[in-house]
Amino acid sequence: MKKITLDKLSELYIRISQEYDLFVPSDEEGVVSFTPWKDDSNVDFDVLKTNLSPKSFIFPQCETLFNFKSEGKKLSIERLKNDENKFLIFGVRPCDVKAFHLLDNVFLREPMDRLYEEKRNRGTIISMGCIEPEDTCFCNSFNIDPLCAQKGVDVFTLKIKNNIFWKVETQKGRDLTVMLSGLLEEASEDDLKEIELVKESLNSKLEELPYFNIDPQKIDRSLIELFESNVWDEISKSCLGCGSCTYVCPTCHCYDIQDYDGGKGGERFRCWDSCMYSDFTLMAHGNPRTTQKERFRQRFMHKLVYYPNNFNEYACVGCGRCVEKCPVNMNIVKVIRELGGENK
Amino acid sequence: MEEITLKTREIAYKDLSTGKVDRVIGFAKGDFIYESNPTFISDIDELDALVWDSFCVNNLSKYLINELKDVKKIGIFLKGCDSLGFNQLVQDNKVDSDNVLVYGVPCEGMVDPNKLKKDNLLKGLIDIKRSGEKILLITKQGDKELKAKEYEYDKCINCKHPNPVVYSELLGDYITRNNNVVDDFQEIKEIEAMNSEERFDYWSKQFSKCIRCYACRNICPVCSCDKCIFENYEPGISGKGKVDSEDQFFHIIRAYHVAGRCVDCGECSRVCPEGISIDKLNRKIIKDITEIYGEYDAGLNTSKSSVLVNYELEDFDPFESIKGGK
Repeated sequence: MKKITLDKLSELYIRISQEYDLFVPSDEEGVVSFTPWKDDSNVDFDVLKTNLSPKSFIFPQCETLFNFKSEGKKLSIERLKNDENKFLIFGVRPCDVKAFHLLDNVFLREPMDRLYEEKRNRGTIISMGCIEPEDTCFCNSFNIDPLCAQKGVDVFTLKIKNNIFWKVETQKGRDLTVMLSGLLEEASEDDLKEIELVKESLNSKLEELPYFNIDPQKIDRSLIELFESNVWDEISKSCLGCGSCTYVCPTCHCYDIQDYDGGKGGERFRCWDSCMYSDFTLMAHGNPRTTQKERFRQRFMHKLVYYPNNFNEYACVGCGRCVEKCPVNMNIVKVIRELGGENK
Repeated sequence: MEEITLKTREIAYKDLSTGKVDRVIGFAKGDFIYESNPTFISDIDELDALVWDSFCVNNLSKYLINELKDVKKIGIFLKGCDSLGFNQLVQDNKVDSDNVLVYGVPCEGMVDPNKLKKDNLLKGLIDIKRSGEKILLITKQGDKELKAKEYEYDKCINCKHPNPVVYSELLGDYITRNNNVVDDFQEIKEIEAMNSEERFDYWSKQFSKCIRCYACRNICPVCSCDKCIFENYEPGISGKGKVDSEDQFFHIIRAYHVAGRCVDCGECSRVCPEGISIDKLNRKIIKDITEIYGEYDAGLNTSKSSVLVNYELEDFDPFESIKGGK
């Protein structure tokens, strides 16, 4: 275990940014999101939920697949050059890291998604644990420990008072740490004791959270019973059909593929899609889900039933962004509860 | 507030049990003390869920479009700003006012949980009470009194219509507030004072934050097209690409489409997950309309025809005198 004091962080950022494109959670006009680090970045490690999740680093809202051009009967396709810069995201919370893993399940199985894989490989993740969970946090419902490194993290850090504690988790993390030698010092016995104390106090904080008893494992009805359940009519009623929940969600990963059609040439791109939208999965015969209730049900059945059937894990990490952002306060917690997923 | 809550239940009970309405749309408490959510009640046994407090911020009137396809008569709880939206829906022929009973609730302003959170005031919060321009927080650590103006939603701070402008029944007494506030469009004048390049940069930066979730459109009481152009993904019409041109296309078309009908309720800005001040675009248009056609508040008066859909020969010709934006 190593550590660095907060006043030395800017030196750390400078050193990192010589090798990587460095992204940090920073506050711009009151909104905290991961942005490229600059000298004057207003870095904020106290806000737990960045406004958008960091999924866009590995699954951007919009990316070009290729350009095309037609000349007479000939169609030529031009692949775009990949960005080759290594990037590093500093301060990714355990819930968001777990979400990366959930996206890996989808994109990194055969047939492998090369665009995704390439970005995943270029990235280094410094995760940061959460010592003060917020009211809208419920990662514990998905067995995520906010003070432990999730699989795939290169370095795990904890910010306690004036120190950031630094624990290497992978070879990438080891290389980074070597590069930063001189800036990081060894944590002392007293430091380790302090970390233990923080860990011990976390459990009681979690138990006090309003969503502590949410437990999707308690949902015990079959897929068909859940699908046909009457609760969807009631709980979908207030849904406006906007896409905020899906776009702030770290695990939503549905996409659409569209063209910019410039007549004789154009660009094919893929972009985030939302099951809340009327044209989601629209096909030649029409749309299989014609009402907002069906679209609403799709989102939650996907996260709580279909995805777990495929991968044995839920497609939610309890980050609580949808809880904060939904204009009408309808969210996955209420859905889980309505479906019976609560310890009483 | 408790008093209003009881009144909401009473009137809903009376009208549901006598069959005057088939359903009421109001608010119920959510998971947090600082959360009140839209609720739809047809069964008198469920009426205990109805509440009225400082978090009933949503404008419920838009729900009428869909709910009236389902039942004949609806009772709905509306604040001043909401009632303007309701009137506009009536004027746009989206809602038949004969099928709606409006229970008007005078409003002192709604409290923004995000502002409380920023000042770390949500921790240990047990209850929150409002009286006039003061908010009392009851917390595990003790009570705390706050100035209401500092914790209201932005849209409430200079509210022009604390009292419903249309109602069948009024719950509570008329409220007077902001008597001395004149809406002088100060924030719009600041943007107008920029040169065209600065202004372009300002708006480009705002629009590029957009994630195209369409929350602003879907919450808007006057965005009520059966099919929005932004649901038409034929190539060349509207694409999902996250590029400046698409973002700008959306925001400008949205603003122009609600021009003259926007009731300035500020819901668009409230729900924007990226914090874009969408209402500034609406308010620029409201300012222009006021300057060109005289004082006009959309939704205030349904008998008066809408300013931009009505033509008179004497109308001022903006193309003659203003000569575009540059």
